[in-house]
Amino acid sequence: MRKFQIGEFEEIVLLTVGILHGNAYGVTIKDEIEGRLDREVSVGALQTTLRRLEKKGFLQSTHGESTKSRGGRPKLYFTITAYGKRAIEYTRQTRNELWKSLPQLVLNLD
Amino acid sequence: MPPPKLPLKLLKWFCKPDYHLDIEGDLLELYDHRKKTLGDKKAKFLLIKDVLLLFRPGIVRSFTTSQKLNHIAMLRHNFILTFRSFKRYKTSFLINIIGLSTGLASALLIYLWINDELNVDKFHDKDGQIYQIMQNFDTPNGIVTRNYTPAHLAKALLKEIPEVEFATSTNTVYQSNWAKGIVSSEGIFMDAKGILADEDYFSVFSYNLIRGNKDLVLEDKNSIVISERLAKKLFKPTENIIGKTLEWKNENLRSIFQVSGIFENTPLNSTVQFDFIINYNVLLDNNSESRDWNSDHAYTYLVLKEGTDTERFNEKIAGFLGSKHPQREKCSLFVQQYSKRYLYGKYENGVPVGGRIMYVRLFFAIALFILLIACINFMNLSTAQASRKMKAIGIKKAIGINRGALIIQFLGESTLMAILSLAVALLIVVLLLPQFNIITEKHLHLNPDIPDTLSIVGIVLVTGIISGIYPAFYLSGFNPATVLKGKFGTAFNELLVRRVLVIFQLTLSAVFIVGFLVIYKQIELTQTKNLGYDQDNVITFQRQGEIDVNGFEVFLSELKNTPGVVNASTIAGNIMKQINLNAGYSWQGSTPEDGEIVFPSPEVNYNFIETLGIELKEGRSFSHEYSNEFSKLVINEAAAKMIGFKDPIGKYVKRNQREMQIIGVVKNFHYTSLHESIRPVFFRYGPNGRTVMVKIKNGAEETTIENLKEIYEKFHPNYPFEFTFLDEDYQMLYDSENKVSALSKYFAGLAILISCLGLFGLASFTTERRIKEIGIRKIMGSNAFDIVRLLTGNFTKTIIISIVISLPASYLLAKNWLDSFAYRIDLEWWYFAGAGILVLFIAWITVGLQTIKAARVNPVNCLKDE
Repeated sequence: MRKFQIGEFEEIVLLTVGILHGNAYGVTIKDEIEGRLDREVSVGALQTTLRRLEKKGFLQSTHGESTKSRGGRPKLYFTITAYGKRAIEYTRQTRNELWKSLPQLVLNLD
Repeated sequence: MPPPKLPLKLLKWFCKPDYHLDIEGDLLELYDHRKKTLGDKKAKFLLIKDVLLLFRPGIVRSFTTSQKLNHIAMLRHNFILTFRSFKRYKTSFLINIIGLSTGLASALLIYLWINDELNVDKFHDKDGQIYQIMQNFDTPNGIVTRNYTPAHLAKALLKEIPEVEFATSTNTVYQSNWAKGIVSSEGIFMDAKGILADEDYFSVFSYNLIRGNKDLVLEDKNSIVISERLAKKLFKPTENIIGKTLEWKNENLRSIFQVSGIFENTPLNSTVQFDFIINYNVLLDNNSESRDWNSDHAYTYLVLKEGTDTERFNEKIAGFLGSKHPQREKCSLFVQQYSKRYLYGKYENGVPVGGRIMYVRLFFAIALFILLIACINFMNLSTAQASRKMKAIGIKKAIGINRGALIIQFLGESTLMAILSLAVALLIVVLLLPQFNIITEKHLHLNPDIPDTLSIVGIVLVTGIISGIYPAFYLSGFNPATVLKGKFGTAFNELLVRRVLVIFQLTLSAVFIVGFLVIYKQIELTQTKNLGYDQDNVITFQRQGEIDVNGFEVFLSELKNTPGVVNASTIAGNIMKQINLNAGYSWQGSTPEDGEIVFPSPEVNYNFIETLGIELKEGRSFSHEYSNEFSKLVINEAAAKMIGFKDPIGKYVKRNQREMQIIGVVKNFHYTSLHESIRPVFFRYGPNGRTVMVKIKNGAEETTIENLKEIYEKFHPNYPFEFTFLDEDYQMLYDSENKVSALSKYFAGLAILISCLGLFGLASFTTERRIKEIGIRKIMGSNAFDIVRLLTGNFTKTIIISIVISLPASYLLAKNWLDSFAYRIDLEWWYFAGAGILVLFIAWITVGLQTIKAARVNPVNCLKDE
């Protein structure tokens, strides 16, 4: 049964929004992923993923305050919805189950 | 340093509006941060890269209008508005509809004509590969190009040159007597005109055979292929005609032929029209001269293999005739695509330089310009009346209509106008087409088929768009705030544009008038110029059938004794169309090259020079009283000048080694059209010419012709007496000029009419706008004359500018056209002045009618309201 369809990058974004808890908007999410995972994230890729996740109902967004460096443009903060939480729980569970079933032998083989 | 604007603008353009603000915020924040850590350049680069990478499906907005408009309601709304404005402003509606419909009607007529012209001879399946052999002769006046060739050329080319796929020869007009005569079968007699052609004829040309095999129908010398029309007339019942026999006789032969095939009547757009075809060998068998490589008795048509390079092919065949006969070394051959000959049938220095295509282009330009003049009327009237629409546009814009929708509305209005005009134009075309067909000698008709309909729809749409495009952009560009405030000043630019457009119209009209005048005067010159001979009351006809040599003498003397006949003579060939051309003349002091020059040298009977009234300058003409006239020559002044003898009478000229004595010199006369200059002519004596020319006493034409008919029928039983007047034959030489003259009259008139309509509309509108001013002026003491002067003053300036512009344009055009005549009128100043004054006068009347009406208005009436 495929309850939740989440891609690899989507999962990362969801988790990062969770990590940033309350301070997750475009720039911070980008910085966080780049800092933690040591991979380049383009604004385009990030934005499309964020919007897609929002559309799927895993994230919700609220307009926030603005700063001078943003030229007066508001920040758009993202938070995980309950549905989103269930989704990452689900992926984690399925991963764990898979890990459990993996024979030790396979991992020990070089 | 502030962030670069362009990438952000780009983002704004393609990004979904909902997403735009915060994404831009993120980008700006990133830019700010990067600027501090990485430096300006790098930050800028990364910003651009980010924006470009944002161009992906999740972010890019949809480019269709975000809100669905109710298109049908909009369309209906526009329709209603358009019809209301038509109803309300009847004058401008009428002006537009009259202008556009006459413009469209003339464009449609010209379209039909051009289409027909362009398709002449194009119906053959192998059109692109069919070529006609042309021949260049060296003459003292440069190279002369002719289409006739030796009869054996077709077969020789087919055998010797691999690129030739099929080749056929047909008789030339010079031998048309061979293929003209009486066909009879089962007691039915018919006059019929046909051609003689080689076996390959139906492989080259696509005249459809209904019965018979195209490879075999002309195999046999006794076969005849007849047209459907002839078959229906000759045979009853019309089944099983193949194999039946018919008798055919003319002056040259009388023979029984067997029908071997039937072809569909030749299409109207074929330059060659015939009712039967017989084998070309009939001519070769009966006319020994035609078998000679040094005589031209055939047109030669080839089908070249696909992909043949005609340039290289021409190089190959250029000297072909020289290799067959030593006397033809100066004659070089080349090929021209058969279907192109109709439009490109004029040659200079041995290469085609145009011909009828000139008239096709001319009329295309005329159609375009007349339509443009009509379009300009629409533009001018709708921009001049902008103030009427101002408020509506202002309110619409304030409510939030976008400019595109307004533009569509105005374009729709003009297109609707064009469509309405089309309905009127079609009616005009249907009414005028019979008359137009008479003038152009065509069989044009409106076809409801797809290509024609598409072209007509195309013409109408283009007309609608051209006339609507300027008003649409102009009217939709107003600033709603100023317009609604009631401030409406006419911009200087707009006045200028309108004025330029009027100048354009009037200039064209003036050019058309000059064009018409020049054509008319040149045609008049061709009618009135002293040609050096008298063509009035001269009738020509052909002797038919077999005639013994003495028969000529008896026949001529009987003609001369007929009451009412002034003089009579005969000539071989035809003075207007085909004078015999001969080379091989030499004289004291002539070069070997001169011997190869081809001169017109007609064989004429006694009294020929007198019958035509050609003036004798020195010596005498051929006469009974002297013996051995066969070795005498009468030459024209041009010939005398070329030979260069001081006193030519009594001197000798050699023709093919035979001494011939010059006995007379006649004044130069124009035996062909004025397009060509006078060439040296050598008259020879020959009693057996078949073209009879009879000069009739003035006033006794009818009875004399009756008498001549009796004599003719006595000598030529079974042949109808068919004659033409020489002056009519002469008119035929100016066939296309006469047509152009007739048509240019109508089109010049139309151009003037349509421009004046526009002027009338503008004048009535400006006076209407200034009616209060006029009222006040009158109260203050202006008289009617002052007001007329005030109102017409502006127009007068415009008119004069157009006339000045039209002068050089019309001069160049007229000069260009006249250059095709060797004898032409001088361009007199008054053609231009006359045209200018005419335009000025007509325009004044048009404007004056309006202004006088306005000037006579009672000030009370125009000032009382408000």
